[in-house]
Amino acid sequence: MTTETALDFQHRAFSPGRVFAITSNTLTELTRQKVFYVVLIFALLLIGSSIVLARFSFQQEFQILKDVSLGAISIFTSLLAIVATARLIPQDIEDRTVYTILAKPVARFEYLIGKLIGVLLLLAISTAIMSAMFLAVLYFREQSALHETARQLANAPQEQLEDALRAVRASAFNYNLVPGIAVIYLKSCLLASLALFISTFASTNIFTIVVMTFVYLIGHLQATAREYWLQENVPTWTARVFLALVALLFPDLQAFNLVDDVVAGAAIPLAVFVKTAVLGLFYTTIYAFLAAFVFYGKEL
Amino acid sequence: MTTEPAVAVRGLTKIFPVPFRRNPLVAIRDLDLQVVAGEVYGLLGPNGSGKSTTLKIILGLVSPTRGEAKIFGRSSSLVSSRAGVGFLPENPYFYRYLTGQETLSFFGKLCGLRRDRLRKRIDELLKLVGLTNARERRLGTYSKGMLQRIGLAQALINDPKLVVLDEPTAGVDPAGSRAICDLILDLKRRGITALLSSPLLAQAQEICDRVGILANGILIREGKLEELIAIENRSEFVLENASDALVAEIEALAQRSNAKLIARRKSTTTLERLFLDATKDRPNE
Repeated sequence: MTTETALDFQHRAFSPGRVFAITSNTLTELTRQKVFYVVLIFALLLIGSSIVLARFSFQQEFQILKDVSLGAISIFTSLLAIVATARLIPQDIEDRTVYTILAKPVARFEYLIGKLIGVLLLLAISTAIMSAMFLAVLYFREQSALHETARQLANAPQEQLEDALRAVRASAFNYNLVPGIAVIYLKSCLLASLALFISTFASTNIFTIVVMTFVYLIGHLQATAREYWLQENVPTWTARVFLALVALLFPDLQAFNLVDDVVAGAAIPLAVFVKTAVLGLFYTTIYAFLAAFVFYGKEL
Repeated sequence: MTTEPAVAVRGLTKIFPVPFRRNPLVAIRDLDLQVVAGEVYGLLGPNGSGKSTTLKIILGLVSPTRGEAKIFGRSSSLVSSRAGVGFLPENPYFYRYLTGQETLSFFGKLCGLRRDRLRKRIDELLKLVGLTNARERRLGTYSKGMLQRIGLAQALINDPKLVVLDEPTAGVDPAGSRAICDLILDLKRRGITALLSSPLLAQAQEICDRVGILANGILIREGKLEELIAIENRSEFVLENASDALVAEIEALAQRSNAKLIARRKSTTTLERLFLDATKDRPNE
């Protein structure tokens, strides 16, 4: 038997070690679930199938490839964020695992943060895998287009050939893809955090998934509806409060849709990227705080 | 050695509101109880009597409507009060995808154990609960009794001063139940306080020093076991190798002194002992 007992430990209100233990366990839990692999395989199949797209001009081909792939990454990371997060808390309560965890010197917010970071890591891994697949397909198609162009312009002047090859390269990979993918990841973080918040008072994961589906749809439509309404009406302060509340409950997910610009080859201004990233981090943090607040008072 | 009681509960009341009903559910009413350090205290009562709610309040999982609960002098609402506590919930389901060893490692890390100390503790506990050979198996493949034993091991991972056990033998077969009772008695020998709830009275009678009986959220009886169950005006003799003549003489003596002989019978073993002896050394085929 060990002679030093737990009572001899100096208890710290916050311990990164405890959070890390919950995070790594959550990641293990999620990666050992079939749903993770099913979603990932579907996404990879969709991205991979872009390789056999109908052959248009290479500009069109790359545009479709980016459109399909970034769209797939966006939809599947959002789906994974909602489905993976929705079951974490209700399942632990149903299985009484939460009792054994919180009966240890673990604060409720540590438990929640650990769970959330676990999901965010899973989303980071999934986004990285899907992005790697997308970039590999893009590279493969780029090389193919370069060879084809070189073959077609074999007898053309050197300058014309180089211009053509440069045009192929410019249509394929550009550095705007990176912030575009980063914003997709931030959107999935926001959705995971919101799903975690809803799951703190939901009794089943189905409830969380249904609510999140509505939030997802409204979140993509609300900006358009708000702009239309503001054009037609002069907002009073009550209307502004109402709109702020709607914006808090239903985050403006359209603001995270920078994919269209990326696909079109337009550069994402640094200010727009920073603003979007801050917005994503703000929502993620706010929902995490709300989740901690509700969970703190929850009777288990 | 601390002089504070391991558990002190004062004026505890818990009322659960019931949706769409005017009358809320009063789970516990004005409960006072103390568990002295080093003893095994049994909280007994029928289903729905408030045992689990009491334990949850003591562990800070549920907040009381009125009153307070303390663990070694610290309010149980404080996370730090649970630093020296181990808990085994009723019918625990741990993470099925973890092995026995991973489960203990996870709970050990939550208690701040690391590296060599954690590894050593895991080895000790797996040996203590008899699961060394199943350490690499996922909990999804464990039997009910094995789950209960790994649950007890996780409750002990931080070398606690107090273990709270909610129906520790629920759903376990007699052999598993015996093993768990022996483990609790072993904890007592090592000076660890145990607070357990159980609807199984015979079991509580064997392992508890003191018991409290809850009914409808009210503590109706409490005290040392031998005092509670003793029948003041009766005595028992258990004789070995007594001849018929000696027994007859004792009966006659009793009659002469106006004592009434209530029963005379052969000593029996318990059904549990009979079962354990019969099934011992018979591996599953």
